[in-house]
Amino acid sequence: MDKEYRLLVVDDEQDMLVLLESMLKNGGFDVKTVTSGEDALIEMQENKPDLVITDLFMGERMNGMQLMENIHKNAPLLPVIILSGQAQIRDAVKATHMGSAAFLTKPIEKEKLLEQVGQVLNITASGRENKEFSESIIYKSNVMEELVDLSVAVAATSVTVFIMGETGTGKEILAKAIHESSERRNKPFIGINCGAIPEQLLESELFGHEKGAFTGAASRHDGLFQAASGGTIFLDEIGDMPLSLQVKLLRVLQDMEVRPVGSTKNIPIDVRIISATHRDLEEMVDAGEFRSDLYYRLKVVPLVIPKLSDRCEDIPLLADHFLEQHAQANNKKKKHLSPESLNYLMAAEWPGNIRQLNNVIELCATLSKTKNISLSLVKSGLQDRNTQMKTLKEAKSEFEKNYLIGVLKMSAGHVANAAKIAGRNRTEFYKLLGTHNIEPGKFRSKNKA
Amino acid sequence: MSEDKIVVNIDIDLEDLIPGFMENRQTDLQKLEQALEDQDYETLRSIGHNLKGVGGGYGFHDMTAMGTAIEEGARENKLEIVKENVTKLSHYLSNVEIVYQEE
Repeated sequence: MDKEYRLLVVDDEQDMLVLLESMLKNGGFDVKTVTSGEDALIEMQENKPDLVITDLFMGERMNGMQLMENIHKNAPLLPVIILSGQAQIRDAVKATHMGSAAFLTKPIEKEKLLEQVGQVLNITASGRENKEFSESIIYKSNVMEELVDLSVAVAATSVTVFIMGETGTGKEILAKAIHESSERRNKPFIGINCGAIPEQLLESELFGHEKGAFTGAASRHDGLFQAASGGTIFLDEIGDMPLSLQVKLLRVLQDMEVRPVGSTKNIPIDVRIISATHRDLEEMVDAGEFRSDLYYRLKVVPLVIPKLSDRCEDIPLLADHFLEQHAQANNKKKKHLSPESLNYLMAAEWPGNIRQLNNVIELCATLSKTKNISLSLVKSGLQDRNTQMKTLKEAKSEFEKNYLIGVLKMSAGHVANAAKIAGRNRTEFYKLLGTHNIEPGKFRSKNKA
Repeated sequence: MSEDKIVVNIDIDLEDLIPGFMENRQTDLQKLEQALEDQDYETLRSIGHNLKGVGGGYGFHDMTAMGTAIEEGARENKLEIVKENVTKLSHYLSNVEIVYQEE
């Protein structure tokens, strides 16, 4: 071994700890042992290990899974191997989803342990080259290179991934790329937009339902979690998931089991979960609109996709790619952007990000009568409001907020009167104000002044 | 008495650890016997669980089997099974003969 890898071993059982230490030292590793998760976290602040091996159950204290969650808050890619005296498949599946690199059952065999440690350390050392992955995501910017490196490393595991990015930045494309680069690639990738389906339907879509579970449930139906078995489920716009369903999703993540609507039986699942949102979930957690426990379960490895304006050096590559796509789809010769047009595109704001760029390029390529797309056409394409349309939900929310402000102004901040105008009771009205972070007191003082 | 000896082959790398390990098992045995008397199922289950995990790792596979039986017996409140296996463990600890081997 060229480099001496540093391993941190955690077990509350002293005999097990010295045994593991001996096996690993004989395997050529530098080993540090501690008897609790709490001590492990302290030790890690001083000496960062290359790998952590922890027992799953450690009496009343922090268990191995909790320790792993804590470790991954600061070091999401640090590999953790979990050991357990119970050979429970459910625990193993859950540990894998929570980001464990391997799950070993006791009694531990030296060869198996060393083999597993070797494999895990190889994964983390070499998982960085993946041409297929790079091909599906077009970039040359450093910020995207970092994201792709992280995504490739994540793809080698089954860890739960959380993608953050503004609308149109390509969250689903990244989720698909992770799936395609993972060992799950031959199994389904199933995406669902949590904001686009009504609450009652969403539960049955995700978890399935039994025959007769509700009016119209004429037959049994497998949910998407079951349909994605062995593969990946992509929960897009997770921030739009209603609170009542958030509790149910949390249970699925905790137990790796689903219970179809109208059923009394839980069904084990083996699915990698990738979720995404354009909203600020941390803010939603603070506002009580999103469960903090679910947020931390989903955010095992957070990936942030930059805005297009923060990676403007990628715009020429992306534009060229879209021009090529347009030419192929319409069986026409590929058109080109003049240097001025490209410069203009690179300097633009792009609130709709890559989706907006695609729309603008598509529009320009369709309307341009010449081979070279002119600057004036690009300018008019960018001014097209259609490319910046809000979603219905965003538009409704904005209307609601403006309406509430309007009635509060009208009633000089008097909540009971404002609620009356709005045709709501006071409790409901206060709840609505809370949703939009509106402080009625502000309207009172303004009017008095 | 030599026919009662139970010969176990252990990895020579673990030689230094074995005396401490065996001492801890004697302590476990005393605790198990006391817990049996008190019908303290939680202690029986917990020590059984540890034995199961640790025994085979050191190379004492019979100990893992006994630990498993003690843990499961305690979980299902089957005192007879626990008792039988604690006796087996006591006999095992008294008669085990360790032969260190290069792996």
